[in-house]
Amino acid sequence: MTAPAGARRGSRAPYLFVAPAVVLFVAFLAVPIGYAVYLSVRGLRLTGTGIFGTRQEVFVGLDNYARTLTDPEFWAGFGRLALYGLISVPLTLGLALLFALLLDYAGSRGRRFSRTAIFLPYAIPGVTASLLWGFMYLPSTSPFSFLTRELGLGEIPFLGAGGIYPSLANVAIWGGVGFNMIIIYTSLRGIPAELSDAARIDGASEWRIAWHVKIPLVAPALVLTGLFALIGTLQVYGEPTTLKPMTTEISQTWVPLMLIYRNAFLRDDLPLASAASVVLAAGTLAVSVVLLKLTQRRALGGMR
Amino acid sequence: MRIRGASGSIAALGMAALLAACSSGAGGGDSAATTPAAESGPVTLQFWCWGSGQKDKVAAFNKAHPDIQVQHTDVGGGTDTAAKLLTAGRAGNGPDAACLEYESLPAMIVAGALADISAHTGPIKDAFSPDVWTLTSFDGAVYGVPQDLGPMVFVYNRKRFDELKIEVPVTWQDFADVAAQVRKKDPEAYLATFAPAEFGNFAGLAQQAGASWWKVQGTTWSVGIADAPSLEVAGFWQGLIDKDLIKAQPLLTPEWNNQLNKGKILSWPSALWAPGVLYGIAEKQAGDWAIAPLPQWTAGDARVAFQGGSALAVTKNSKHVQAAATFAAWMNTDKTANDLQIAAGEYPASLAGQRATSTSEPPKLVGGQKDYWQVAAKAAQNTIPHISWGPNVGTASSAYQDAVAAAVRDKTPLADALKKTQQVVVDDMKATGFQVAGS
Repeated sequence: MTAPAGARRGSRAPYLFVAPAVVLFVAFLAVPIGYAVYLSVRGLRLTGTGIFGTRQEVFVGLDNYARTLTDPEFWAGFGRLALYGLISVPLTLGLALLFALLLDYAGSRGRRFSRTAIFLPYAIPGVTASLLWGFMYLPSTSPFSFLTRELGLGEIPFLGAGGIYPSLANVAIWGGVGFNMIIIYTSLRGIPAELSDAARIDGASEWRIAWHVKIPLVAPALVLTGLFALIGTLQVYGEPTTLKPMTTEISQTWVPLMLIYRNAFLRDDLPLASAASVVLAAGTLAVSVVLLKLTQRRALGGMR
Repeated sequence: MRIRGASGSIAALGMAALLAACSSGAGGGDSAATTPAAESGPVTLQFWCWGSGQKDKVAAFNKAHPDIQVQHTDVGGGTDTAAKLLTAGRAGNGPDAACLEYESLPAMIVAGALADISAHTGPIKDAFSPDVWTLTSFDGAVYGVPQDLGPMVFVYNRKRFDELKIEVPVTWQDFADVAAQVRKKDPEAYLATFAPAEFGNFAGLAQQAGASWWKVQGTTWSVGIADAPSLEVAGFWQGLIDKDLIKAQPLLTPEWNNQLNKGKILSWPSALWAPGVLYGIAEKQAGDWAIAPLPQWTAGDARVAFQGGSALAVTKNSKHVQAAATFAAWMNTDKTANDLQIAAGEYPASLAGQRATSTSEPPKLVGGQKDYWQVAAKAAQNTIPHISWGPNVGTASSAYQDAVAAAVRDKTPLADALKKTQQVVVDDMKATGFQVAGS
């Protein structure tokens, strides 16, 4: 094979190589997003005669956006998400970092077993995990409430007004710690051993090494996991939906995605649901960009 | 070479997929083109329905009809089926026939999802009482064949009633007294549950008291979800909840099932399909339960509403409306179908099916009750005729569930929750373009 022939081929090759990605992106991301935006300016309005008439799809402009943005339940959903995220995100990341550092510590024993044990919950599907925890929360099936009842302390209101946020966050933390731990742990393993050795020769304790050497160096991994956790929080749907039949605390519009589901399928208003989806997606994008910008300096600083 | 070979085969795969897509598209076009003509050869119908007896009924139909073959899929209960049918209908890949609860029919008609089968139902109309027939016919069009009925009855754990030496309540006042007795005799037990998600149950109780949630005159609707009788019924349950005489909690959760199995929930004022549901979660209590007429507001009355019950409808995107209508008719008028339905614990909508119950065994949960079908028949004969459901029952149901759950949680009046539901329903109807009276 001669060089010029290779160069000629090279001119077409890049397009061929990106083609599958572009095709998949257009077919499964760009087109659906475009369709959602199109649907969001449509509406089902009554036309025709008869006692019922028939609803037809017509253009309604920004009506659906106005209804979404003025719906107090939509914003209340974000409020509940914020409270939920305040509990679940720091705890998930904090525990993941702690476990990763412990696994990375040379003196730890049973590392392989611990790593698998902590990672295992991530392999349990979210709905299964929610049901599993749901049974452990309900007063008459909960082993925890059984213990407290036997001790004369009464039942723990896991699914009551005060307990619902920690209870839901617990499901997410239990499932999410392992995944985040693996990312941070992988990043920790990438740190050259000389750095820790040098600090140790200087007389630094393991705590100081972790705090001043390891954590700054895994900052990019922390930013990445933080971003995933934030986006994951905005997309919370499965856990509250699964626990909803078990408690009156969770309404059908508890989080924004549940409101979108209700509008689309229970109220049969797909256009309104599309508008709310577009708002949610745009908001998620904006928050992600802002977070990345804010943390970029810190993340890169760690690599310097 | 290996790489080029691989990409070549990927390209070939892509071509194959494209070809497959093209040919299936052409196939769809062909069958659409032949629709108006007489159908030749066996027709295959897709059919969605929940319920334990459906599989056997469909198998019996297929055996009796070599030219129409039906494929049955259980896509979930009444609410799920309705939601999925709307979505699939819009996408053009809905089934040919589906079961629908009576209350969701108007919403389906407004969405343009159902076919008018009045041209095919002439011969079977007389197999149903006129009151039952009006459940599926609107303005001369017929949107389904009635399948089963859910007249409301009082379903109770007779064994526990006997143990605690309490009487079956005849009026709602008795019901409140019995609820208090239960709390006194067994502090862990409750007579019944008030479940915030049970929209259809509350609608039935309100209708029994004289409420009329939707009415239409000409093209003008009126909504009465917060009318005087409804508020009165809400006040009654409010009193029971406030005094902790009944348990306000969701139904059919692991928690509730556990309490039921322990004999701590003594009754479920619901409908004739309830023994089948309860048997599924409390098999060990087979024979312990019984049904009685639902309590009344005035002693001596016998009127009750329907809760649930379903019809078999044909969808508008079916390419075989006639075959589907034949199927719908057979499933609900043929003797074999009725017998299978009764065996599954359903109360048939057809007159012949109802007569056949007199010689049938009661469902297993109430196996010890000799007069089960007589009590059932009496309830069915005293149902309130022509209940009118509105075009946005789904919206009403979801608004009701949220408002009532919030009221139970925050200990705010149930009456306010009904008013809030009413507001949501009226606003939704106006936004869609309906004329609503009094606004």
